[in-house]
Amino acid sequence: MATTLEAPKTPAPKTNRLGLQAVDYRGAKTTLCAGCGHNAISERIIDAMYEMGVKPERVLKLSGIGCSSKSPTYFLGRAHGFNSVHGRMPSVATGALLANSSMLGIGVSGDGDTASIGLGQFAHLMRRNLPLIYIIEDNGVYGLTKGQFSATADVGSKLKTGVINELPAINTCAMAVDLGATFVGRSFSGDKKQLLSMLKAAIAHNGTVMLDVISPCVTFNDHEGSTKSYKYVQEHEDSIGEVGFVPFFDDISVDYDPGTTYDVQMHDGSHLKLRKLHEGYDPTNRIGAVKALMEAEERGEILTGVFYIDAKRPSFIDSLNLAPEPLATLPQDRVRPPRRVLDEIMQAHL
Amino acid sequence: MRQSFAVGIGGAAGQGVATPGDIFAKVFSRRGLHLNAYNAYQSIIRGGHTFLVIRTGADPITNIGDQLDLLIPLNQDTMDRHLRLLGPGGACIYNADSIRPGTATQGVQLCPLPVATLADITRNKVAQNTLAIGAALSMLGIGFQSLESVLEEQFKKKDRSVIDENISVARAGYDYATQNFKPFAQPLAMTENRYAVLSGNAALAMGGAAAGVKFYCAYPMSPSTGVLHWMAEHARKANILVRQVEDEIGVINMAIGAAQAGVRAMCATSGGGFALMSEGLGLSAQAEIPVVVIDCQRAGPSTGVPTKTEQGDLWQMLGAAFGDYPRAIAAPLDIGDCFTLIPEMFNLVDRFQCPGIVLCDLLLAEGRLSVDPKLLNFRPPIDRGELIVSNGAADHEPYKRYLITESGVSPRAIPGIPGYTHVVSSDEHDEDGVLISDEYTNAAKRRAMMEKRMRKVSGIEASVAPPKLQGPANADVTLVGWGSTQGVIEEACELLKDEGITANQLQIRWLVPLHGDAIVEILKKAKHTIIVENNFSGQFARYLRSETSFVPDGSIRKYDGEPFMPHHIVEAVKEQLAGKTKLSVPAHEVMV
Repeated sequence: MATTLEAPKTPAPKTNRLGLQAVDYRGAKTTLCAGCGHNAISERIIDAMYEMGVKPERVLKLSGIGCSSKSPTYFLGRAHGFNSVHGRMPSVATGALLANSSMLGIGVSGDGDTASIGLGQFAHLMRRNLPLIYIIEDNGVYGLTKGQFSATADVGSKLKTGVINELPAINTCAMAVDLGATFVGRSFSGDKKQLLSMLKAAIAHNGTVMLDVISPCVTFNDHEGSTKSYKYVQEHEDSIGEVGFVPFFDDISVDYDPGTTYDVQMHDGSHLKLRKLHEGYDPTNRIGAVKALMEAEERGEILTGVFYIDAKRPSFIDSLNLAPEPLATLPQDRVRPPRRVLDEIMQAHL
Repeated sequence: MRQSFAVGIGGAAGQGVATPGDIFAKVFSRRGLHLNAYNAYQSIIRGGHTFLVIRTGADPITNIGDQLDLLIPLNQDTMDRHLRLLGPGGACIYNADSIRPGTATQGVQLCPLPVATLADITRNKVAQNTLAIGAALSMLGIGFQSLESVLEEQFKKKDRSVIDENISVARAGYDYATQNFKPFAQPLAMTENRYAVLSGNAALAMGGAAAGVKFYCAYPMSPSTGVLHWMAEHARKANILVRQVEDEIGVINMAIGAAQAGVRAMCATSGGGFALMSEGLGLSAQAEIPVVVIDCQRAGPSTGVPTKTEQGDLWQMLGAAFGDYPRAIAAPLDIGDCFTLIPEMFNLVDRFQCPGIVLCDLLLAEGRLSVDPKLLNFRPPIDRGELIVSNGAADHEPYKRYLITESGVSPRAIPGIPGYTHVVSSDEHDEDGVLISDEYTNAAKRRAMMEKRMRKVSGIEASVAPPKLQGPANADVTLVGWGSTQGVIEEACELLKDEGITANQLQIRWLVPLHGDAIVEILKKAKHTIIVENNFSGQFARYLRSETSFVPDGSIRKYDGEPFMPHHIVEAVKEQLAGKTKLSVPAHEVMV
């Protein structure tokens, strides 16, 4: 008697709220070194975009130049991309998002790209509060040019060649808070959970998100004596608060004790839940944020977590009071000022 | 010879040179007259000195001319410096209470105004200016009514009492001149025409609006700041997004970001700011994102002379950014052309997806010219080239942003369109936008991509007409100029004709593409060629030689910060035709 074997059922692939699979958020195969922190960050960005159900075609990936700036190729292959020039991504992003504010901008920079050649652009971007997720993949060295110190290297950190860094590190987080970014945090490429929550919250935020992500360079800055090695960061990380995130489309309500957890309602209705690890820390207080960052620096510790958030300040786009229709997609018959306006202008010159 | 009348008004900063200038300009333009105005700042002696010349007449007035008909010195310094610029028949109106007259050329009428007697100078600090305007209009045979209406308009934002006060002071000056001074031999002409009076900066900005520019950004820099001011003033009404940016590096990259998003984006600067834009210009070329950059040249190098004009940035433009890449560079010929050139440039750079540079200068940017409004076409054609702005209904091939084509132009999609996602980059890339250094630095792909981009050069050249000779054929001398010297060379040719020398003119508007063959074809038939330019080294002459091996018979150059006056060119041509020299550097008289 013949028996018919039923074909084993393949379970339906897991999809997000748009019906897309995680694979739809992948990019090209990385060409960075095996073990590079940047690859882990790319993976977290893929996870965050997938879990948040962001339409990949709505995303504009921007970067400057350097190892970090190559990484947008390695996530969201279905998104638009702009690899700009060294240190100039902030202004390219500003132009692009002002012309089309319907895009979700994510900029990936490095410590050289941000804190040296691009410091002026970085500072002015922070002031604008442009809706943009700005990630510094921070390893304290220039990788593509074979391991020179960058401006985020700590005093006393040692290169493989034995050279000791003598100049103080630029504290990009303190700068960002000071200059007006409305969501500032630091994470570590090796801390999957914290980084993923922060990235998801970043997607929900309406304004500039500045995330400094310590991302060890396995080739040039992962040795004894480096303050940006995996080992050093693991040993010296001090979290200011556990980061939890509940997106607006999740109705799972978990009770948090307001005494131990800070709950920030975000622009899109999501909730950022920050469980207080430092007593009395208030992530809505700019002065406290800068103070905590400076104190950690004095102690030689690497402070991580969300240091500062202001979910209410209008973004650059909001404050410019732009028409909802993006300038970039105006039909050609409407790109010129109306006849009436031109006549008025001409009249003034007659 | 063209009939014209030139007024010079000079004084220290703060003495109010600008307001009489505006009033004269309005009076002249309401009479249907052409005008050309140039404001010279002088940075010698105590606290600076401003000298504004307005030349007017029924014929087109293309430059400020050679001499003054009326001088209004607001201080002693102006009297001392400029009185000699008045020829016979001219007049000098001055405040007899505070200014001593100098020795004038014979036939010049000195017109002292007893200012304290005619007006209450304790109440009206600029009474001398208003009295002088009134007096001047009486001597020009213009009815007081036209001045009254211009004053009403000029001070319309002030209290009624201020307007009345100004009108009564002007009236006092007018009446005093009628009784005491001799009118000019020729009353000022009048026509039924109406012209708009524009600065080059306003014309550049308005040209941008006409071209459909939606994004303008800049860092303030003289003499280009007027473009930013116009844009900021009209931003809301004209629906143009205008941003002042932290520096010119940010400016060009922001414009490129906006242009990549899909809008027409423009920015303006001067030589120093342009130096910072060089890197971004290369990005525009490599990523194939069209952007238009205006450079209003001033005297360099470095900070140079911020308030003085020069045509000294040509080689900076030619050498801007490293590597070979297609681009377009054009120099507007006059203020009206500042308007016309912008939409033309946008169409070109949109079609060929490359940077475009408009090489203006302070003379045009800050100068004023009457322009026939009919020549200002606010509806010029907009050609955005091969731009994909929607997904369409039909299926299409997988999109390749840098598709290799015969023309070198790859259809450009704006970000946000599903099915047309792509990456643009400053790195060399393949057709898909994948960085070639991310696989192997592939020599074949690099070569193919380089050749693809450079194929656009011949398309750009075919889209721009070669320059044409102006004036009679077989002239004794052919004067070659570029950009803003159009008007002054044109008038020099007319003056030469009066002296029995026939002259024609080859004026270059498009520097890239140059059409070198067509230029040489014209110049090799010329009897005597002289290149006229506002710089030290003969930047255009050197460029023409490098492109075509053509060497002119002579050069006229000026690099003292002031523009050419017609007689500078006339005298230089005469000395060169007489075989006295091959290089003339005219000295600028005290007229600044």
